[in-house]
Amino acid sequence: MRWPALTLNQKLATVALVLGAGALFSQPHRGPVVKLDTRELAMIVEKEVDHVKPAELAAWIVEGRTDYRLLDLRSEAEFAAYHVPTAENVPVSALPDFPLLPQEKVVLYSEGGIHAAQAWFLLRAQGHTAVYTVLGGLDGWKDEVLFPVMPADASPQELARFERTAAVARFFGGTPRTASDAAAVTDGGQQMPALATPAAPELPRLAPAAPGRSSPVSAPTKKKKEGC
Amino acid sequence: MMTPLYKYGFFGDEMSLLVAFALGIGFGFFLERAGFGSARKLAAQFYLYDMSVFKVMFTAIVTAMLGVTYLGWIGWLDLGQVYLVPTFLRPQILGGLVLGVGFVIGGYCPGTSVASLATGRIDAVVYALGIFAGTFVYAEVYPAIKDFVNSDSMGQVTLPEVFDVPWGLVVFAVVIIAVAGFWGASAVERWIGGKS
Repeated sequence: MRWPALTLNQKLATVALVLGAGALFSQPHRGPVVKLDTRELAMIVEKEVDHVKPAELAAWIVEGRTDYRLLDLRSEAEFAAYHVPTAENVPVSALPDFPLLPQEKVVLYSEGGIHAAQAWFLLRAQGHTAVYTVLGGLDGWKDEVLFPVMPADASPQELARFERTAAVARFFGGTPRTASDAAAVTDGGQQMPALATPAAPELPRLAPAAPGRSSPVSAPTKKKKEGC
Repeated sequence: MMTPLYKYGFFGDEMSLLVAFALGIGFGFFLERAGFGSARKLAAQFYLYDMSVFKVMFTAIVTAMLGVTYLGWIGWLDLGQVYLVPTFLRPQILGGLVLGVGFVIGGYCPGTSVASLATGRIDAVVYALGIFAGTFVYAEVYPAIKDFVNSDSMGQVTLPEVFDVPWGLVVFAVVIIAVAGFWGASAVERWIGGKS
């Protein structure tokens, strides 16, 4: 078959049409400037479906779940002093370039929770849909998981429940406390579990860490200086 | 390397002025080469016997649009950073009509008048004085028309956003419109201008 001779203009028009048809499949790069569905985000915030309670996170770690990434947004020094087992250290400034898959489940925590909440927006803005923050941050983790307080004059049911909580606390190297203990200890006085010491043998399987960031917790040592 | 170069700090203010100068010279050169330094050629567009203005402008639009789309697709250009003139629908429709009337009467649009001025045409000098006079008058009456000028604000919007369709679909549609427009423009030239 012989192609009809085309004029230059017809050839250019053909090129434009071909490129235009190709552009139908294009996904132009939009860089760091994005549009957000503010109504959707406000709804998520209000319904609090973006929170993970420290106890839930503890349960996940004990179960050895690996379907999520736990990110510690604090500084390297703070991370080195103590972090939740299986966490990866990503300072907030490094977060936009941190390699995460769009659909990956990401759990964020910071000291109190403000940085985690801000980072939550950052990741949402980048199009990550499964982003969660640890309720109360590391402070919440300490209060609820590491150093839970047994309610004074607890009923037998409460006691039984607290026994489980206490077991989890000991698993992570924390110390369950009674109400009087809690009153005696001033803020920040608890001794944080030591890191990077061999796991105590009686502990059940420790959570398999996210790749490259394994640091099993041991029973608390009597040595100080590891506190936060 | 990622563009926009200026916004990402690859060069500063002085360099950006030099780049603007080089682009401006290039723009003027090609306007002149296309014959747009002549008011006769430009006015012919409105009498429909020479559709060069339509063709050149639409060619520029399609070329730039395809370039931007593909550069954005391969990740060299960050489309989110490209400056968009904010849309004020009715004020801009009226402003476009005013510019069109001036275009028909004067035989130039602002850019071509400067290119024509560079070649020393006297009507272009008069037109340039008109630009300054018009700018001055606009500034003086601005307080009175301020509310209208700033009405109908839609922000920095694009057609894909307004019509909620994929980017690529708009690109394809514009190419189709352009090709159909070229075909139609040539038909009009044959019909009115007697061109073959």
